Amino acid sequence: MIKYHPDNAFLQSFATGDLPASLAAAASIHCEMCSSCAQTVQSYTKQAATDGFSALDSRTENAEACSYRSMSSMDAMIEQITKDEEQDMASENQSKTIQVQGKQFELPRALVNIPLGKWSSLGRLSRSRLGMNDGDIRASLLLMEADGGVPEHTHKGFELTLILEGHFKDEFDDYGPGDFLMLDSNHTHNPQTDTGCLCYTVSNDAQHFTKGFNRLVNPLGYFIY
Amino acid sequence: MHAERAIRLPKAGHPIKFNRMSDDPCKTELASWLELVGIERDKSAFTDLFRYFAPRIYHISLSKFGSETLANDVVQETMTNIWRKAHLFDSAKGQATTWVYTIMRNVSFDMLRRISANKEDNLSDDLWGHIDNAEEDSSLEPFRDHLADRELQNGIDNLPDDQKQVVESMFYQDLSQSQIAEKLGIPLGTVKSRLRLAMTKLKHHIGEKHD
Ligand SMILES: [Zn+2]
Repeated sequence: MIKYHPDNAFLQSFATGDLPASLAAAASIHCEMCSSCAQTVQSYTKQAATDGFSALDSRTENAEACSYRSMSSMDAMIEQITKDEEQDMASENQSKTIQVQGKQFELPRALVNIPLGKWSSLGRLSRSRLGMNDGDIRASLLLMEADGGVPEHTHKGFELTLILEGHFKDEFDDYGPGDFLMLDSNHTHNPQTDTGCLCYTVSNDAQHFTKGFNRLVNPLGYFIY
Repeated sequence: MHAERAIRLPKAGHPIKFNRMSDDPCKTELASWLELVGIERDKSAFTDLFRYFAPRIYHISLSKFGSETLANDVVQETMTNIWRKAHLFDSAKGQATTWVYTIMRNVSFDMLRRISANKEDNLSDDLWGHIDNAEEDSSLEPFRDHLADRELQNGIDNLPDDQKQVVESMFYQDLSQSQIAEKLGIPLGTVKSRLRLAMTKLKHHIGEKHD
């Protein structure tokens, strides 16, 4: 049973395409595992479509649509588009399996076409950075091997952890597949796992790891997120 | 010419009324245009779709990107995808406006990614495909019911035989309590008390899983 879900504002931004790719991927992965959030996204999509496509404000329509029509003739565009005889095929379900530390994992749909960086390991932690090219936001796959964990740390900016497989616990609760944890600077935690755990993580905190009083933990923080 | 009247869009989170101008096509009309384009490659149906959606897509994209060039690109690419994908639209799965909206959203997302991340990965399909292609509303219920059924079945399997017999007669053979008493040759009071015990256990069993 998934205990932690993205909040509705997050799901709504996902539905309207307004999240950066790394966060949209987190929402997408969660929805692949959580039918109730998937349904919420569907409702927000439907609502956005109704809002967006309902009757245009007549003034807006006159001002914008006229300039739009003069800017590029509708008929020319229609002519050009309908010359094309081709039809697109339905996209097929792709899948991708990865191997880390001797274990196999099937990746969620959102990540099958994202390049994976080389895995690097530190103790019982392994991390691969994802080639999202999402500006300051970094996304990674993080594997905690059985009986491993992450030393206590705080967050500047945000740190999103989404469990793909396995379980971990910290001083607040224990977490399993699909659990979606958005932590900010108010949180300190110390995740530990008995069984091993693969997570998708996103962080936007670039400077935090290079300066400040958390210097000792920082190299590790940089490694993880 | 349209009269100078402002039609306010409903705020997010409020129930939506479809505020229609006189020349607005209804939902089924939009869906049938899409079907004509998909099945017959009907150009006049596409022209109707274009005249309805293009200015709206332009309007939405202009306020999102603040650039007429980009807004125009979104219109062109979205309308092209509608032409090429209309046969994939299934009116049983959802509304035409929702379908067009998801195409526009995906085009905008991929376009922004091409510009800002220099990525041609067209990620949108991987991100939203599994949600958009699921049927609306009803689709996810069977999955839940299925799960609940299985949990219920587990619970019933774990009941003592005498209680299980009573519960199964009620659930699966749809017998009334007195019919069960008659069938099993036991007093009605015994049926009632076995049912009560069984229900307490089942509630406990299912409750545990859902807490
Ligand atoms: Zn959820």
